[in-house]
Amino acid sequence: MTKPKSPIGGPFQAPEPGVHRLGPMQVLDAPMRRFSPDDQVDYCVVGVGAAGGVLVQRLSRAGFRVVGLEAGPFWDTERDWVSDEKGSHQLYWTEPRVTGGSHPLSLGENNSGRGVGGGSVHWAAFTPRLHPSDFRTQSQDGVGVDWPIAYDDLKPYYELLEREMPVSGPAYFPWGDPHGYTFGPHPMGGVGDLLIRGCTKLGIRVSIGGPVAILAGSRGNRPHCIYRGFCIQGCKVGAKQSTLISHVPDAIAHGAEVRAHAMASRIEIDAENRVTGVRYVDHQGTERFQRARAVIVSGYAIETPRLLLNSACPAYPSGLANSSGMVGRCLMAQAGNVILGRFSELVRMYKAPPAHCMTEEFYETDPQRDFARGFAIQSVAPLPIAFAKQMIASKGSWGWALRREMMDYNHWGTIAVLGELLPNPDNRVTLADETDHRGIRVAKVTFGLCDNDKKLIAFARKKVEDVMWAAGAEEVVQESRFAHLVGGARMGVDPRTSVTDAFGRTHDVDNLFVCDGSLFPTQGSANPGLTIQSLAARAADYLIDQSAAIFRRGAPRSREKVAIRTDLSPPDTWGPGVPRLGG
Amino acid sequence: MSNPERPAADPRELWPVDSEGHPLPPKIQPGYYPGFSTLSQQAFWDEATRREVLRRVESLPHIRFFQGDEVPLLEAASARLLPQDDRAEARRIPIVPWIDERLYEGKGDGFRFEDMPPDGEAYRLGLAGIAAAAQARRGQPFQQLPAADQDDILKQLHHGKAPSEHEAWRRMPAHKFFLLMLHDVCKVYYAHPWAWDEIGFGGPAYPRGYMRLERGQREPWEVDERRYAWAPPPAAGSAETERVAGQDDLYGTSQGGTH
Repeated sequence: MTKPKSPIGGPFQAPEPGVHRLGPMQVLDAPMRRFSPDDQVDYCVVGVGAAGGVLVQRLSRAGFRVVGLEAGPFWDTERDWVSDEKGSHQLYWTEPRVTGGSHPLSLGENNSGRGVGGGSVHWAAFTPRLHPSDFRTQSQDGVGVDWPIAYDDLKPYYELLEREMPVSGPAYFPWGDPHGYTFGPHPMGGVGDLLIRGCTKLGIRVSIGGPVAILAGSRGNRPHCIYRGFCIQGCKVGAKQSTLISHVPDAIAHGAEVRAHAMASRIEIDAENRVTGVRYVDHQGTERFQRARAVIVSGYAIETPRLLLNSACPAYPSGLANSSGMVGRCLMAQAGNVILGRFSELVRMYKAPPAHCMTEEFYETDPQRDFARGFAIQSVAPLPIAFAKQMIASKGSWGWALRREMMDYNHWGTIAVLGELLPNPDNRVTLADETDHRGIRVAKVTFGLCDNDKKLIAFARKKVEDVMWAAGAEEVVQESRFAHLVGGARMGVDPRTSVTDAFGRTHDVDNLFVCDGSLFPTQGSANPGLTIQSLAARAADYLIDQSAAIFRRGAPRSREKVAIRTDLSPPDTWGPGVPRLGG
Repeated sequence: MSNPERPAADPRELWPVDSEGHPLPPKIQPGYYPGFSTLSQQAFWDEATRREVLRRVESLPHIRFFQGDEVPLLEAASARLLPQDDRAEARRIPIVPWIDERLYEGKGDGFRFEDMPPDGEAYRLGLAGIAAAAQARRGQPFQQLPAADQDDILKQLHHGKAPSEHEAWRRMPAHKFFLLMLHDVCKVYYAHPWAWDEIGFGGPAYPRGYMRLERGQREPWEVDERRYAWAPPPAAGSAETERVAGQDDLYGTSQGGTH
């Protein structure tokens, strides 16, 4: 055995007691305001994740009394997180759920989060924008449904959030609405190298070093990336954005309360069709009720429908805000097939962020193909346990054969499809008969593929296999899988076919909103994180501008666009002065 | 299928072989990275990570979930699902106590497939189903069967076939129980620093990080790969796997592992 070495100055010590760290350079030093559940707050946000984190920050900065209820803990990144694959399981939503259908989705790992920051804690942090075509797939391609907003409605929020996160990426990103990034791109790791090599051989344009919400250089109170590869295990470094480190500290500094270990069980409504607050179960298992003038549900694509369905009442017997019957329906996942290539040379794919190289060359509908819409190709980089499962899935290996594949771990590289699957009302969240340990009925997820989905996956898989061969792989195998979850409480113009309006305000109840990935009517082939946070910033502008009408019974509902507030960004956000393409 | 009167197997039949088919005796550290030790780097890890990883090496939880014969049965199954016969006795990675801890504490991915019972119940049923298969085949407990018979039974599960007339296989698909066990075993084995040393994975990397990102280059503290002829023991039922095309469902997914 090698003689143990030690850093100059001795091993790294335990974090100092009484200090709440959010990355090595940021300390949560302001005391948090505490509301009593009997206080009627202005806004109660259920779920402090990607969307909820941005919402509480915006609303508190604008002076509202805000409580965010979060089912999981309020992480101290130094104390609670580890640089380890197995030890990071606590970041994922691992409460009981049931999954089924013709293509059951595996849940429980990094498709939804638990704890302040939610899924943004363990996303790989790819941050492509949706394309303009994504907002009108029905009118353009005759599939899916049009969004109630257009790309141009969201574009200023994309630009704003790209600076707030911030996003590192190339100076020129040619797809969709071409644009460039203020913050420079990352260096390549092994999987990025082979993706570029394969794409270059085939004449496919490729984006190098982003877009990804990871700092390539230190900025403010956040260090730069150290290329350790544990992005989806929670970034202890603080280089990768999560709302936990980018927005929540600012929310607390402006008087928001983020109440951890508060699991919402039911939203209450009065006789005049107004929500009055949220019932939740606290850390001790005690049921409490937080009064609020308006409620925003930001529990993500499974827990948001679950809470609305569990809030059924005499006025809404099939679930709160569910007069359309659309709550829980049109749940979507993206095709996430992983193509694995074995190379004679070493790749060592555990280094560098998994997300650092991509192409959207096949994103749009191509009439030459036999299916609508398209897909992206992205770098991924499984750590050993995930890689073992991929060898099991792709090669059927077990026993000695699995040991043999694993001994070659460093020779393998992986590239993934990220493909648009279409919304289908039968893909849905319902309530199972069983309950969790608090007595709340658990979600059942049903999922299957339509014909277009299957054709898209077959084509995309073949294309990525071609890239892998072109990169010089000696063996190419693939694993069929899915990535990301959105939909389940979609927004739309027509109250008969959607749950909320274009701002996330439920059609049924004037002071009840949804704000998270469940709003997506379709999903494109972009990772949803940037769009979720941008939608949250847009919703916040509406909640701020329209608050008087939202809080007043019987006030007419505005459907007018509100002006973007660029003065609500967290500190250390650069302004729009840095020249960018398309900016 | 092996002969019931067969004498006790020669342990060398369980060892991997070199290019000429000669058994390779067990090693302190299998794999192609001799001398590589992630644990030698522990002073460069943050405190929380060090505590988490050292627990896997230095302590072993007591059995609290499994009962009676379930423990030796699952020990035997784990030893075929991910064999460690090439590891020196003192450097075998304990598996079952950690699966037991996970089930006892109710930790896991949380979800269940609609055609599967919750994980703990699936283990109780599945292990009983495997025990019944061993009895039907040889009139013996699974853990006393020759390795070839154990591999045969596991292979049937892998292909989604019920290995016995037992309630377990009416309550859940055999291959899903196989995957539940195999995933659990992998989650324990490949979370252990000795397994990282075996496959050349750098392990925890905070606060130090990595500097050499491209071309598979090693950090100064990593070691070069030194390959040698190594093949699974030819008699093992898992030496080669035949993947049935178009039957993705049999092999599960790594959901969550990547993006």
